[in-house]
Amino acid sequence: MSDPNAPTDPNDTRGTDDGDRPRDPTLHRPDGGTNVLKEGRDAELDRGPLQQWAADSIQNPERVYRALFYVAAIFFLFTTLFPFYWLLMVALTPEGQLQDIVFTPNGFNPGAFVEVFEVIPFHVYMFNSFVIALASTAVVLVIASLAGYAFGRLEFPGRTPLMLLVLIISFFPPAAFFIPLNDLFNTSFFFLRPITGDGTLYNTPFALVTPLSAIFMPLAIFILTTFYSQIPDGLEDAARVEGTTRLGALFRVIIPLSAPGVATAGVLTFIAVYNEFFFSFLMTDGQPQNWAPILDGILAYQGQYEVLYHLMAAASIIGVIPVAILVVVAQEKIVSGLTAGALKE
Amino acid sequence: MARVRLENITKRYGDETAVDDISLEVEDGEFVTFVGPSGCGKSTTMETVAGLTEPTEGRVYIGDDDVTGLAPKDRGVAMVFQNIALFPHMDVYENISFGLRLRKYDDEEVRRRVEEAADIVQLEGMLDRMPAEMSGGQQQRVGIARAIVRNPDVFLMDEPLANLDAKLRVHMRTELQRLHRELDATVIYVTHDQAEAMTMSNRIAVLNDGKLQQIAPPLVCYNEPTNLFVAGFIGSPSMNFVEGTLVEGGLETNNFTIGLDPGRLSGVSIGDDVTLGVRPEDVHLTQYADSLAAPTDPIDARTDVLEPMGDEVFVYLLLSEAAEGSMDQDPATSPNQLLMSVTPDTEIEANEDVDVVLDRSKIHLFDTATGDALLHGLTDRSEREPGTTPTEADS
Repeated sequence: MSDPNAPTDPNDTRGTDDGDRPRDPTLHRPDGGTNVLKEGRDAELDRGPLQQWAADSIQNPERVYRALFYVAAIFFLFTTLFPFYWLLMVALTPEGQLQDIVFTPNGFNPGAFVEVFEVIPFHVYMFNSFVIALASTAVVLVIASLAGYAFGRLEFPGRTPLMLLVLIISFFPPAAFFIPLNDLFNTSFFFLRPITGDGTLYNTPFALVTPLSAIFMPLAIFILTTFYSQIPDGLEDAARVEGTTRLGALFRVIIPLSAPGVATAGVLTFIAVYNEFFFSFLMTDGQPQNWAPILDGILAYQGQYEVLYHLMAAASIIGVIPVAILVVVAQEKIVSGLTAGALKE
Repeated sequence: MARVRLENITKRYGDETAVDDISLEVEDGEFVTFVGPSGCGKSTTMETVAGLTEPTEGRVYIGDDDVTGLAPKDRGVAMVFQNIALFPHMDVYENISFGLRLRKYDDEEVRRRVEEAADIVQLEGMLDRMPAEMSGGQQQRVGIARAIVRNPDVFLMDEPLANLDAKLRVHMRTELQRLHRELDATVIYVTHDQAEAMTMSNRIAVLNDGKLQQIAPPLVCYNEPTNLFVAGFIGSPSMNFVEGTLVEGGLETNNFTIGLDPGRLSGVSIGDDVTLGVRPEDVHLTQYADSLAAPTDPIDARTDVLEPMGDEVFVYLLLSEAAEGSMDQDPATSPNQLLMSVTPDTEIEANEDVDVVLDRSKIHLFDTATGDALLHGLTDRSEREPGTTPTEADS
């Protein structure tokens, strides 16, 4: 028996305090077996800080994971939030002093947030964007609900190929649709004259709502199919026996119980349409009275001889605020929907 | 309340036939149970009545109306589901009143009827609870209240007690019987539990493989099953079946012979395979058989395993050495084994040689080839006359 308090010989492969006990041969390691994992106190004497840190992290991996989490979180927060911070600095800098802005503005001009509405009718652009995004979301949710019901709850031949086809459409580049759509929307239809005046859809919300709904529809269908297929058949049967049609069961039972899914699909669609660039840029002439969206509003601060960067920045921030609010509100809805919708099957 | 009539209902899913040409009639105010093993088509048959499934062929009538093409909501039926199927996002009041509100009854009427229905199923004071806050039994009561509140013509119950625990199930069984009596309702009830079927129904419809096997009052199904399937399905533990061959003067099995006049059996002749069926309670020890009017000759047997159930003891009997060690076979169908039920005070031990007799009046004979019943009870007046039966002649 060796004295457990005796100084440890790093080359002693027998171990220090358990001489008589049979030892697991795998503990004899090629480096001479310093026994660091077993005898923390003694082993500290013959290790550097890095070795010490490595040994600690092997014993307490949670600490490393937590550290990694903070590193990753800070990285993502920085890359997403710093542009906003910089945008704010640009917006607060008075016109003509835009050089060398890094962490603080050159001067202080909060009036830019008012000025944006004075130079051009930016609120009209915002209203246009809202109408377009809300209309697209409504169209997408109604049609995707019907499609999701069919794909999720009915058996019919060709269901899987059809679903794949729908998903494939969402992979098409929007530019591929642009020329035919632009041509179509500039064609005058006599039956549209009472609605749009000249009979074309160009410069109306329809020119944006129609293609954007179609492009963001497959994702919504996919989300809603997943949710609707998980509602027990018994609930739909019960609703139908109690007095609804299939459609009634969809709207009274299946959709309320799939609230988190509907909220997710709705929020994603709204944000995607609100942020969309390609069609928003091309399907109107950029005039606020012609349903031009926010994008055109921001670009309108770009004149022939000067670019009002500080107003563009202020307008961008104002444009982001509604979406930020929506996300915060919807997130609460989604979480509450997930916890309240406990189903018993 | 109304009659329900099914006419040649057939339902196919692709090549699979779930329901095969079922015709039956449920009388006004009658409680009929569809019973059968899993996948026998009983739920599908009920769904054709509810309108949740459209039959491939055949017509459904409720009252005098052909409802085959009608939507479920227009049929005047209410349904109670196995998985209870309460709407989890509505409280009890909203769940019960769902159908009434859809039909645009005024609020006062809705409240009155909901409270009345809640009274009947003893749910007073729980109307503002959410389904998730209730026990399984309470949830199923809400399901039943939702069904009765609309005062439907027909109640459909699809294994409503299957998800409840055993004690609650027995309790709800009596409640459902009370409800049926109070409401005087036409009820179609689906279950795979033959105890539920026996205790609750006016008539039982036994289904197997999508075909209707027998529809009759419970005791008729028990005492006079039309075929091997019904005989084996109704009754717990199951009836003993012993395969044998019809010979001159009797039925010969591996281990014993039962005397009978083959001329009494129509459809089979000497040399055909016939299956003898006898329930465990109709097998008796010879020394206790004095009370029997018509016992068979004693059969040598050896007791194997005893199962004391408290009110009775099940005794597994081996009829031959060959049977020993073959207990993995179901005793009900093995030709060399019999299950006997005796009273708990009977003096009997495992691994004991005993003589048993069968009650001739309770023996059932089935055509082995078709499964159809040939005869229920070997005693009738002509057999009891001395000297005329082969048994008497033999002994």
